[in-house]
Amino acid sequence: MAKDNMKLSRRDFFKASGLIAAAAAGSVPVLGGLEPSLAHAAQSSGEWSSAYSVCDMCFNKCGCIARVQDGVVKKLDPNPKFIKSRGMLCARGNAGVAQLYDPDRLKYPLLRKGARGEGKWQRIPWDEALDLMAEKMQDIRKKYTSCGHLFSAGADLQSQFVGRFAEVYGSYNVTSHESLCLLSGSRAFLDTFGEVPFADVLNSKYIIMAGANRFEALVTPDSIDLMTAMQKGTKLVVLDPRYTKTAALANEWYPIRPGTDMAFMLALAHVIINEKLYNETWIQDKTYGIDQLREHVQKYDPRFAAEECGIPAEDIARIARELAAAAPAAMIYPGRRTSDYKNSTQIRRSFAIVNALLSNWDQPGGLLAAREVGLKGVPYDAPWYDDNPDDRVDAHKVPMMFEHDGSFVLTRDAVLSGKPYPIKGWFVYKTNPLGTAPNRAKTIEMANAMEFMTVVDVAMSDTAWMADLVLPAPSSLERQDPASGLQGSVACACVVQRDAVVPAMYESRPVFDILKSVAGKLELGEYFDFTIEEYREKQLRGLPNAANALAEDGVYYNPSKVYGIYEDRVYKTLSKKIELYNSRYEGMGVDPMPVYSPPSKVPKNRFRMVVGRSAMVTQTSSQNNAVLHQLTGPNTLWLNTASAKNLGIQPGDTVEVASSVGRGELKVEITDGIREDTVYMLSGFGALSPQLSLIFGEGASMSAVLQEGYDEICGNAALHETIVSVTRKVAS
Amino acid sequence: MNRKMISLLLGVLLVLSIASMATAMGDGNARKGKFLYRKHCRTCHGDSASDLSPNSKTQAGWTATFSDTSKIQCSPDWNGVSEKDLNDIFTYLHDFAKDSPTPAKCS
Repeated sequence: MAKDNMKLSRRDFFKASGLIAAAAAGSVPVLGGLEPSLAHAAQSSGEWSSAYSVCDMCFNKCGCIARVQDGVVKKLDPNPKFIKSRGMLCARGNAGVAQLYDPDRLKYPLLRKGARGEGKWQRIPWDEALDLMAEKMQDIRKKYTSCGHLFSAGADLQSQFVGRFAEVYGSYNVTSHESLCLLSGSRAFLDTFGEVPFADVLNSKYIIMAGANRFEALVTPDSIDLMTAMQKGTKLVVLDPRYTKTAALANEWYPIRPGTDMAFMLALAHVIINEKLYNETWIQDKTYGIDQLREHVQKYDPRFAAEECGIPAEDIARIARELAAAAPAAMIYPGRRTSDYKNSTQIRRSFAIVNALLSNWDQPGGLLAAREVGLKGVPYDAPWYDDNPDDRVDAHKVPMMFEHDGSFVLTRDAVLSGKPYPIKGWFVYKTNPLGTAPNRAKTIEMANAMEFMTVVDVAMSDTAWMADLVLPAPSSLERQDPASGLQGSVACACVVQRDAVVPAMYESRPVFDILKSVAGKLELGEYFDFTIEEYREKQLRGLPNAANALAEDGVYYNPSKVYGIYEDRVYKTLSKKIELYNSRYEGMGVDPMPVYSPPSKVPKNRFRMVVGRSAMVTQTSSQNNAVLHQLTGPNTLWLNTASAKNLGIQPGDTVEVASSVGRGELKVEITDGIREDTVYMLSGFGALSPQLSLIFGEGASMSAVLQEGYDEICGNAALHETIVSVTRKVAS
Repeated sequence: MNRKMISLLLGVLLVLSIASMATAMGDGNARKGKFLYRKHCRTCHGDSASDLSPNSKTQAGWTATFSDTSKIQCSPDWNGVSEKDLNDIFTYLHDFAKDSPTPAKCS
């Protein structure tokens, strides 16, 4: 089957190449670059070499070893010395080879010739592409100031150079992928503990996982450690409107009404406080606001929460007691993607507060502070531009946005309104807001509002499809990257880096080289006057043993303290304690403790749409992978059995899922594993770009259907506020 | 002048002095302050003097440090740094302090 599919994908590749050639004005189709793939089948010398690398199939950055034969990467093995992933590499990581040799990869610079998104491209030489990029950036700066150019970058080891370029160019407007993902949780835990913690899943005895799906949405080492811990007797309670694989393996699963997690958490706090199930000395010593919290949670008893959440009151009370009995080796798992609701920061604050009541901070089985990695920054002195506006374009819309990440949703609104000032240039590196941000139609409008848009990526993402200039980047196995510090919870604090395992294919160039070249043309060359090797030396200057360890083991571990980090440290909050009651919020007019408000009611025969990830694919970035595509896709719409019956929908039917902003068509998956008032679809799919040949037009894109909304405290996207209709389109 | 009047005047003076202290430090341009900090301070701090960034202190810590700049050890070397620039530098350090809503990352 695999062989057949590979053949099919190559046919698609030739077909796509032919289409590109037909569309290209005056360019010759180049089918070169297939050589390494063809070499696959050629006679081999039998000689192998191995090289350390770092996986790029999701954000976890697990260590791996590339096995190379005759210049071709044949296999990726786990690095047994990489303990963040417990010496393992997942199935998705193994498929990294197919990413490298994906026939759909971008191969040379392309300039848009037709209307935006029409798909007419001209191949141009690199010199011309870089001159054009520099010229347009200069034009935009002259017309709109440097802040008139937006920069967006994904979670890549070279993304730091995009931030550096933006700053020396003079733009404050930089957005990361994080404002479509994890910022609400970061905000909440930072505002409670003074930093964003890591969960010691391995040593925890009792874990409540709400709004997280760790056996499918993999995080290393948490996913692996959770399995190990459960084998040793750790109890896992899952709250999820959907019967996920995590729910299936849990000791208890409660199909909670979406958007009511805060009521559950406040009820846990109610029981723990009223029954004095907390460590009074610890709470008095380490926390601020227990008296206010006691008063605050009185109205949130288990009976109240039961009504809201659809979970029996006696179970809530029992879980609170069991959780407290296991403390401090017990936790409410903080989770990762928290871009759910307009009040997601406050929802996650309620998670953080219960953790504080368990006295689990800095303790085995609890929440851990970031460990010392020891990697140094590489300072630079960016110039100052007097003509710039005062602030980011998305500033002052929410009280506590993260300066370094911004808010994609708010930035998009500002671009479309032209206020407070126009943004007319957009540089995007390895992130795909057309596939990940809510309300895709609006993101298309945003692209249309640009005078010039450049995308650097490995493949023609939907966002690249909308660009003026598309530049091919090498995959992670073909380039040298800076060192990166990783937090591996109780497993490790480590440093990894990448060197090219095989030479860059086609005409691909790393974004570092692109930015360095353009910086030179804009008389900013002094800020990129180094090689990656020199940059890494500076990063590692405080770690004399790191370079050797990286060469020998593919990873450097800092044997830094794991527990008790705060024994002699002051909490980085205004009160210098863990803030049950947030004194800064009070000063800003924000509720200092989470106040529950019920989610909007779902009308009859309508559904709240929730989205998630699978273990096999990472949103749009790996769905076009020939190996993974055999395992996952197209996505389906999970619909409850009774709801399907009400709507006359049969198994295998194609349905239309529609919201006030968009629609999508996909196959239905009728199941008892989801609430009657909720539907679910896997993120990604429904691609607009025909150059993602395996997923083009396949399934539906969540970004097309989700309404935009944002966290009212930090500007993170709110993806679970959308109510949809479901209609039968094509019978099975 | 009666005692009531003197108390009132003293009160007004106190309010004015607090207000002037408040306007003296804070509400500057943090972005400009970042540029000025790199230009004036980082030449020593992080090289020959202690490694320093906004993340080195709390907001209250920076406020205390800048409440009397003459007590800052290196202040005699601040040639040509205006009051306005100093306020911008303070605003940058304060707004990205380790207990601020957006603690500084290294750059």
